[in-house]
Amino acid sequence: MSWHSSIPADEVHAKGSVGVEVDGLRLALFSLDGEIHATGNICTHAFAILTEGHVENGCIECPLHQGLFDIRTGRAVGPPVTRDIATYDTRIEDGVVWIDTQPRAAASAGAAKGAGGAVADFRRMVIVGAGQAGAETARAARTHGFAGKVILLGEEEHPPYERPPLSKDMLLGRTTLTSAHIFQPGEIEDLDIELRLGTRVHCIDREARHVVLTGGETVPYDMLVLATGAAPRRILLPGSDEVHLHYLREVADSQTLGEVLSRSRGVAVIGGGFIGLELASAARSLGIEATLIEVQDRLLKRLLPEEPGEFLAWVARQNDVALHIGEAVQSVSAGGVTMADGTRIAADCIIVGIGAVPSDQLANGAALETAPGGGIVVNSRNQTSDPAIYAVGDVAVVRNEISGQQRRVESWQNARLSADRVARAIAGQEPVEQELPWFWSDLFGGTLQIVGDPRPDARVVRRDGEAPAFFCLDEANRVTACIDFGDASLLRAARGLIASAHPVDPAKLADPSTDLSTLEDNEMKMLPIEKRYVWPASGLDRVPDWVYTSNEIHEREIEKIFHGRTWNYVGLAAEVPDAGDFVRSFVGPTPVVMVRDHDGEINVFENRCAHRAAEFCRELRGNAEEFVCPYHQWSYDLKGNLAGVPFRRGVDGKGGMGPDFRPENHGVKKLKVTERNGAVFATFAQNMDSFEDYLGEEMLKDFDTVFSGRKLRVLGHYRHTLMGNWKLYPENLKDPYHATLLHTFLVTFGLLVAGNKSAMIVDPKGRHSTMASAKSEGATVSAENKAEMRAYRDGMVLSDPRLMDFYPEFDSPWSVTMQVVWPGLIVQREMNTLGVRQIVPNGPNEFTMIWTMFGYEDDDEEMTRHRLRQGNLMGPAGFLGLEDNEAMKFVQDGMLNSTGGAHLVALDPKVPAGTSDTLISEAAIRAMYKHWRQEMGL
Amino acid sequence: MNDLKHGFTAISARDTREARRDARLEIEEFNAEYCAVLDDGDLMDWPAFFTEDAFYTITSRENWDGNLPVGLVYCEGLGMIKDRALAIAKTSMFGPRYLRHYMTNTRVMGIEEDGTILAGNNYMLVEVRAELPEGRLHQAGRMIDKFRRQDDGRLLLSSRIAIYDTLLVPNALVLPV
Repeated sequence: MSWHSSIPADEVHAKGSVGVEVDGLRLALFSLDGEIHATGNICTHAFAILTEGHVENGCIECPLHQGLFDIRTGRAVGPPVTRDIATYDTRIEDGVVWIDTQPRAAASAGAAKGAGGAVADFRRMVIVGAGQAGAETARAARTHGFAGKVILLGEEEHPPYERPPLSKDMLLGRTTLTSAHIFQPGEIEDLDIELRLGTRVHCIDREARHVVLTGGETVPYDMLVLATGAAPRRILLPGSDEVHLHYLREVADSQTLGEVLSRSRGVAVIGGGFIGLELASAARSLGIEATLIEVQDRLLKRLLPEEPGEFLAWVARQNDVALHIGEAVQSVSAGGVTMADGTRIAADCIIVGIGAVPSDQLANGAALETAPGGGIVVNSRNQTSDPAIYAVGDVAVVRNEISGQQRRVESWQNARLSADRVARAIAGQEPVEQELPWFWSDLFGGTLQIVGDPRPDARVVRRDGEAPAFFCLDEANRVTACIDFGDASLLRAARGLIASAHPVDPAKLADPSTDLSTLEDNEMKMLPIEKRYVWPASGLDRVPDWVYTSNEIHEREIEKIFHGRTWNYVGLAAEVPDAGDFVRSFVGPTPVVMVRDHDGEINVFENRCAHRAAEFCRELRGNAEEFVCPYHQWSYDLKGNLAGVPFRRGVDGKGGMGPDFRPENHGVKKLKVTERNGAVFATFAQNMDSFEDYLGEEMLKDFDTVFSGRKLRVLGHYRHTLMGNWKLYPENLKDPYHATLLHTFLVTFGLLVAGNKSAMIVDPKGRHSTMASAKSEGATVSAENKAEMRAYRDGMVLSDPRLMDFYPEFDSPWSVTMQVVWPGLIVQREMNTLGVRQIVPNGPNEFTMIWTMFGYEDDDEEMTRHRLRQGNLMGPAGFLGLEDNEAMKFVQDGMLNSTGGAHLVALDPKVPAGTSDTLISEAAIRAMYKHWRQEMGL
Repeated sequence: MNDLKHGFTAISARDTREARRDARLEIEEFNAEYCAVLDDGDLMDWPAFFTEDAFYTITSRENWDGNLPVGLVYCEGLGMIKDRALAIAKTSMFGPRYLRHYMTNTRVMGIEEDGTILAGNNYMLVEVRAELPEGRLHQAGRMIDKFRRQDDGRLLLSSRIAIYDTLLVPNALVLPV
């Protein structure tokens, strides 16, 4: 034994991990669950300091190659490391850590928990709220293989139970609480769930990653799940402090109400929602007079279309419920309810069911994003604005990451499904496709069921089977929801119709003699595109392969994007200085001609003869007075007007065009053109926004840095094909993560190191972007950053460093900007080498890139040469450019011969999509696909 | 320059038919060695074919015909040629491939008074990749060269301009031509 003192224990606890030098040894101290552990600090795989790495799950991850060592045992648990690190005994004396520098004996096999040396999971999942959603999260986490700690905190003293029986059978005393329990006897122990009832959480400390209980106790978490539910919306009425108004949320409410009902003669229910209807139904089944009051002009106005709402009202009346619809309550008293018009409703029990308010106080206190109408905003995986915190059940407001729409659902199914989503996320399982929304309510001896999404304003078709059903249709006559009153076969058929999303004939749907299953068979042969190309359930952090490989998707991109509301770069004004100068160019894949006419205007029109579609302009560039199609000599002027049709009148009075032929109706298709400081753009769209609005203020600034109005001088072109989908190119320039990892050159010669000032800026719509960095002036790379960059090599120098010179000539904080102008233009400003890159897709798996490199007319010869020399960085033989081209080809290769996978673009979850302040981010790629999906309707 | 239709026109006293024939043979040997280094040798040896002040560029016929100076590769001086060799050999990531260079139709178009030889050839670059085992023509074009005789008698390139007709570069050009 050889004990040596080191540093204060508090310092280790505060930092989590600290490197120390003791007795000539480099040792690592770790704080884990309040204990201090000591290990060697040099990785057994390659030279790296372990304490510069990341501690997770009881393991230290080497910063260099992500090898893993178990901190407690030193065991090498994750490749590429195979040899264990030494561990040392520690003890604390007077607050100082003492270390025995004699290493412990090697860890014995099986010291780590779990079979086969598998690493134990030290993560703690804490669930706040032990209702159905919370309890199901705990159970599903185990089902999906989560092996860490599960702590379930509930405020009520009862073990978790389901709420639907509270307003139904339990209220009537037909069932007991025990039968509503979520966990079977012994299940909590079997699942190893720590259930703490009667426990109220005071606040969440996100920094410290723990929750504080009302007693002051802290409960640390790695993942926190908020299942705090919702509370009944309270009503304030004259007299409400003199009489007991009943609300229903918890089992105690149900028990009290059950007792009161058994003694009541008349019940007044305020609120005509499902809870109100169920309570009125329960009262009627006890033979009690029931009155239902709804201030809106019909029942369930916020939830259902009019027809099923009216039908429900009819059912209620049939069951002798007195309905007061469209009437407000003035006051309440022990004798009952007084309506606004003075009518008195006698009741010895008044129940209020006017909705619920999400219990989001804890989330608000922790500054998590909440919705304006209450509730915690989550993504499609139920993750809140803090990636370590999830929300499930009634309190969660799911934001659609494409449309931005927010939606909160209170249902038994939603509690279960949201719990499952979170459990899968925490257990590292892929999300699954979600079931159709489903809801049920037991009313007046029958069961109402709803599948799909019934919007109150939807068109409705009623169909009478064993019981009536109401089908909701969208504008295209597709079934979106079904409200069914007891015919299970109609409900089943509705599920099929909703899933197929194929238009149906409303008359046939309504006709009880139509067999709905044949309707599906006959009319659903071809699924619409959005049903065949379904985005992964995980959301924007995945991009499915079909985005890059499908021909159908590619054709839709031409229609929706390149021929849609986009400005497409076609060339530089400097390429066509004089009248008649033309360039053969493209808009997306579509051939066009850019030509200057005698008025000095630049025109862009399709390079496709109006007669037989021949691509008539064949030269890459040139000067012409007119364009003549070589096939039949149809000629067009410089504006694209049809000027001459040979033998239009025929020969000898025979043949030729008919008398109705008007040449002015047969010019080539002309595009709308705009020019911004020498760059020319065209669009197929009508009434397109101005280019300035299209780019937006922030993007326009970067664009104008290069296109400032200084006259351009074209230096030449590169043209290359790339064996990949065209979108990989803008993605590559929205992927700052790759820059220091792929481009060894940048790092080796100090052009870009992780410490450089840099930014990845995305326009508000997610389509345009600028990747920017500022050249460091002799900056040294910190050891920490260096360790992360595999690419870094000391001591390599350029023989001719002029390549790296940067002559400041722009009013910009950045020395490099790579700007994507959606969809097909990249503006390159790599120090002093300037150029534009135009993307021309050739089908889903290949595109052509046309580069035009330029300087300015007022450059002197040395500046021109400098731009040419610096051009060695870019292009298909550029030190950086060739690597990008190769990497993108590899990506396409990886997809072409595999089946139906998806890309993972999950870096930086704190920024769902958009501008991020870190380069270790894929938020800009997610933003691009958010926009793409909106444009594509997918 | 000479014009084949109208026979031989000397540009200096030393520019004789015999001298051109000798020079052509010497250049063919030079180019064979040059190709061998690029195809099967060490890229770091490639700069040794150039003079200290050499100019080297690869450009498209589109640019050449339009008097546009941009090059896929653009090296002013031996330093930049060495830097390209270093960058490609030591830092660049690209997929494995076999490249084979062919230089034919060697022409000597004149010999200047100081012995500088003005020459040219046609060239082809064939690329084979594992996923493209049948290979493909990567570039076809011509070169315009200037060779300068060194004190030790060797010829070195003082200028090589490669002009490719193959308008589209397939994916990437990783090695020089």
